[in-house]
Amino acid sequence: MNFEYSEKEEKFRTEVRNWLKETLPKYLSEKVRKYQRLTKEDYELFMNNLSKKGWIAWHWPEEYGGTGWNAIEKHIFEEEIVKASAPRIVPFGVNMLGPVLIEFGSEEQKNYYLPRILNNEDWWAQGYSEPGAGSDLASLKTTAIDKGDYYLVNGQKTWTTLGHHADKIFCLVKTDLNVKPQLGISFLLIDMDSPGVEVKPIITLDGEHEVNEVWFTDVKVPKKNLVGKENEGWTYAKYLLTFERTGIAGVPNSKSALNHLKMVSRKSMKNGKPLIEDPMFSSEVAELEIDLLAMEIFNLRTVSAAAEGKAPGMESSLLKIKGTLVRQKTTELLRKALGPQALPYLPEQFDEGWNEMPIGPEYAGPIAKQYFNMRKISIYGGSNEIQKNIVAKASFGL
Amino acid sequence: MDFSLSEERKMLQETVARFFENNYNDIKKRSEYLDMNDGFSRDFWKESSNLGVISGLISPSFGGLGGSGEDISIIFELIGKSLCIEPFLSSGLLSSTILSSIKNPKTELINQIIDGELLVSFAHMEMNNRYEDHFVESKAFFEDENWKLNGSKSFVINGDSADKVIISARIEGKINDKNGIGLFLVDNNQINNRSYNTIDGYRAAELNFDNIDAELLCEDDLALECIIKANSAGALALSAEAVGIMQVCFDLTLDYLKTRKQFGKSIGSFQSIQHRMVDMMLEIEQVRSAVMLASSTFETNSSTRDKNISAAKNLVGRVGKLIAEESIQLHGGIAMTWEYSVAHYAKRLIMIDHLMGDADYHRDRFKLLSSN
Repeated sequence: MNFEYSEKEEKFRTEVRNWLKETLPKYLSEKVRKYQRLTKEDYELFMNNLSKKGWIAWHWPEEYGGTGWNAIEKHIFEEEIVKASAPRIVPFGVNMLGPVLIEFGSEEQKNYYLPRILNNEDWWAQGYSEPGAGSDLASLKTTAIDKGDYYLVNGQKTWTTLGHHADKIFCLVKTDLNVKPQLGISFLLIDMDSPGVEVKPIITLDGEHEVNEVWFTDVKVPKKNLVGKENEGWTYAKYLLTFERTGIAGVPNSKSALNHLKMVSRKSMKNGKPLIEDPMFSSEVAELEIDLLAMEIFNLRTVSAAAEGKAPGMESSLLKIKGTLVRQKTTELLRKALGPQALPYLPEQFDEGWNEMPIGPEYAGPIAKQYFNMRKISIYGGSNEIQKNIVAKASFGL
Repeated sequence: MDFSLSEERKMLQETVARFFENNYNDIKKRSEYLDMNDGFSRDFWKESSNLGVISGLISPSFGGLGGSGEDISIIFELIGKSLCIEPFLSSGLLSSTILSSIKNPKTELINQIIDGELLVSFAHMEMNNRYEDHFVESKAFFEDENWKLNGSKSFVINGDSADKVIISARIEGKINDKNGIGLFLVDNNQINNRSYNTIDGYRAAELNFDNIDAELLCEDDLALECIIKANSAGALALSAEAVGIMQVCFDLTLDYLKTRKQFGKSIGSFQSIQHRMVDMMLEIEQVRSAVMLASSTFETNSSTRDKNISAAKNLVGRVGKLIAEESIQLHGGIAMTWEYSVAHYAKRLIMIDHLMGDADYHRDRFKLLSSN
């Protein structure tokens, strides 16, 4: 066993770090650091830089324009992006649809869509969840009726992240209503500007607009937009869900949140002394750090196994559960560290260019909001309850 | 022992409950009230006064009709159920507690509060004060036969709309000394205040003042006693409010578990979900019990009073987190939306732990008071 990064890996880390230093504009990392609202252009700027460098499709096979990085290098890359306070890479096209097209798409689809994803020409959204189909995704109701040379699509998708920026959406739709739910689903690519597509914002509990409802009313979708075979969409959907699991634990985000927590608890005061000197509070921080330390190794074990070609099985479910709990714990302790400073909420503070005096220390503003926002991570992407079902079903033989 | 409410209190409970339900029947109503100039509805406040809700918080010795621990708990539990944002805590309880606990009680002012005509906020917290009773940096000095104040106060609930403010300021001593604090009454129009909404949908303000005129209400031991008493009354009220909120969170969640179907059955039919609901129910009963104990000893000597209030508020902090987080998790995505009420209840429940001492503060205070 050797828990050190190799010289080659360290060199790679330096390369990524230097590149981010050179190319990531200061205003943008500042915005990310302050949890300010990012515009479509902000995301695109960073992703265009990655495209130019050839680093955008870091999960794809090299022959399609991927980087050829191994799992450890991918992990290092993810860590450096978070450390540099870069915007997140919008995953729907490059990390989700891309691999599905590479595996199941037609030559025509690959030739058309993959280069557009590599160049960020299309902003993709994910059309999976519906109001009645969350944890039980297979019970979805959106229909696509065969009308000869096109499908007629009717229904509603929900929780569509950044769907208000999207040009295109990949959707799971019902093409056969008379069979077991999993057997009648197809994977369809839909232009957002097709007549009959409507996007309605969902405002979340923190007052922000990030997710949407997407409604389809008699939307005509050309047959050539079907991925793979009709009624086999469930296989592709599952492939997509299990494809990219190195990042699922969110280790880099939790690490940076832990550092932030330490900074805040050095500055917050209790009885005139820094909060970090309070033995009860610092013990809580220490236990969180221990959880994170163990989880990082657990994650790397899983990642290295994947690098050797072993498909991660229930480990990714376990990592998803622990990863979300650890991340949520960091936001909880941050909130707690602030004490009454967590109360004020200035929505305008998260606009670009806001330069008034914050109330209390500058770091206080986003913390309570972040705590509430992060409740979502144990719900989305297959709730933690569903992950537990998966693990129990796959590994206990009960 | 008798755990039931008297007939009179049952009536109070029923009247207030009906009134709140009629005026706060929808979470959108609350947002409308918050968007008003003062951050709450003046009409609702006035009607509350007419109905005797404010006087229910104040002892008959000062013109009220209640003021016992039980009265406060009954009213605040209902405030929690409706997520009511009017100044019941700031004016109705904290300020009236201080105005009635000084050597020469300000009965006329209390009566004006009861009548819904006067708003008084209590400004004790400061930016670097973490719930402490005696951590006071703002300064008071006596000059030309007058008291003057300098400094700033933070997170003052309804600090923008208040007509008058009670400010804690240091007459002498070091920032953390127990002695040397005074409580002062000032007109709010002398104060430069910056108002904002809190994350849980209430109105608060930062107050800055520079050589403003002030009237001394009390000083030294009595001032500290008043601060502790007001904070304890506030912690009791918030604990009772939390009980109301927890019950609503529980009820909404249970209701959702019965109606939401996945995998062909209601999600509440899954045993793992049922067990989590049982854990929630159990913990809510624990909190309810601790709050009942704290209300029943509210009028006893201060160490018993404060010990039981700290027990309740500590439990509220711990259980509140459980209930808020589980309510959201068991609902799933729908609970992440602004439109659905459970998120607003969860936010308030969490933020109650940031007011009048959090779970850690009250755990430490309980340790101190129970070792004596």
